[in-house]
Amino acid sequence: MAISYACAMGHAPGITAWRDAAPAEQRERLYASFERLRAELAAAQPDVLVLFTSEHWANFFLDHVSPYCIGRAEQYQGPIEPWLKIKRTRLQGDPELASAIIEACYRHDVEPGFSYELQLDHGTMVPLHFLLPRMNLPIVPIFINTLSPPLPTGRRALALGRVVGEVARSWPRRVGIIATGGMSHDPGERGHGTIDTAFDQAFLDHLVRGDLEQLAKYTPDDFSSAGAGAVELLSWIALAGALQRFRGEVAAYEPVRAWATGIGAMSFAILDQ
Amino acid sequence: MSIYALQKVIRDINRNPESRERFRSTPETLLAGYELTDAERAALVRRDYGALYRMGVHGLLLRPFSIMHSVAEKDYLAAIRGEGG
Repeated sequence: MAISYACAMGHAPGITAWRDAAPAEQRERLYASFERLRAELAAAQPDVLVLFTSEHWANFFLDHVSPYCIGRAEQYQGPIEPWLKIKRTRLQGDPELASAIIEACYRHDVEPGFSYELQLDHGTMVPLHFLLPRMNLPIVPIFINTLSPPLPTGRRALALGRVVGEVARSWPRRVGIIATGGMSHDPGERGHGTIDTAFDQAFLDHLVRGDLEQLAKYTPDDFSSAGAGAVELLSWIALAGALQRFRGEVAAYEPVRAWATGIGAMSFAILDQ
Repeated sequence: MSIYALQKVIRDINRNPESRERFRSTPETLLAGYELTDAERAALVRRDYGALYRMGVHGLLLRPFSIMHSVAEKDYLAAIRGEGG
């Protein structure tokens, strides 16, 4: 089947945990965009959601680092942060789809790690809180190492995404794909609070145009120029790789000082499936 | 210098409510389970975020650790930037 739905949005913990610290106008524009993405998701009626997300030391530590980890669990729980102001919830997994993605990856020269037990943190739960408030669809989370160098390039994120897209299109149930994270931010580091709107706008423009060539050029150094957390945008690039031919529409972009992050939200029209 | 062990114990405190409670009540017993230098042990017990940051603790371990101890963002940033305190 065709990929039934795709969107990308930030996952900054402030979106829920420090909601009122943001100026009301910015906050309302963002929440309106999340509501738009939620309505589009509901209308598309996906049966399962694949999430490209970032690892924040919730699951992995320096005792074992891999570039990508695909969740094969029967179920997941989150968030792990007691202060996130999101109720801890259990979500169903989809080990069958996860296994199909992993096997397809290995056939296509991308070798991700995988796990039968993964914890969900703000990186997954903040977007799901808005996009799937009833938490009532199975998920396949795909974690990208955004913490411990060396980190993947845009080109490799596209390659990973491409395989996910191929599996999704051949899957007998409707698959929605969500990318979470970014945009520019330097969380917990000395540049915490710095937002690079020029970097964020350039990145959004590539997605608006569906320009895979430009997305492929991003290196870990390019991202780190916009803060240590900007590399989370690899998730958005992986989503672009899954969609291949598409046009993006910026539902909202707000540099939210109080959340120390450039927050983007994008809707996608998928072409030629 | 044992940045690996230092980050490992901070992650344990962030993630594990039981370790968090032990760190609060009897930090020495929790820290005894990790190969830490005296300076690292002291920085943890004092919750000296500036020292921990300079020792190389990743921001996404250290900021959550400070949130667990109700440290305001401006105070955390002043500490890691070496401003006052």
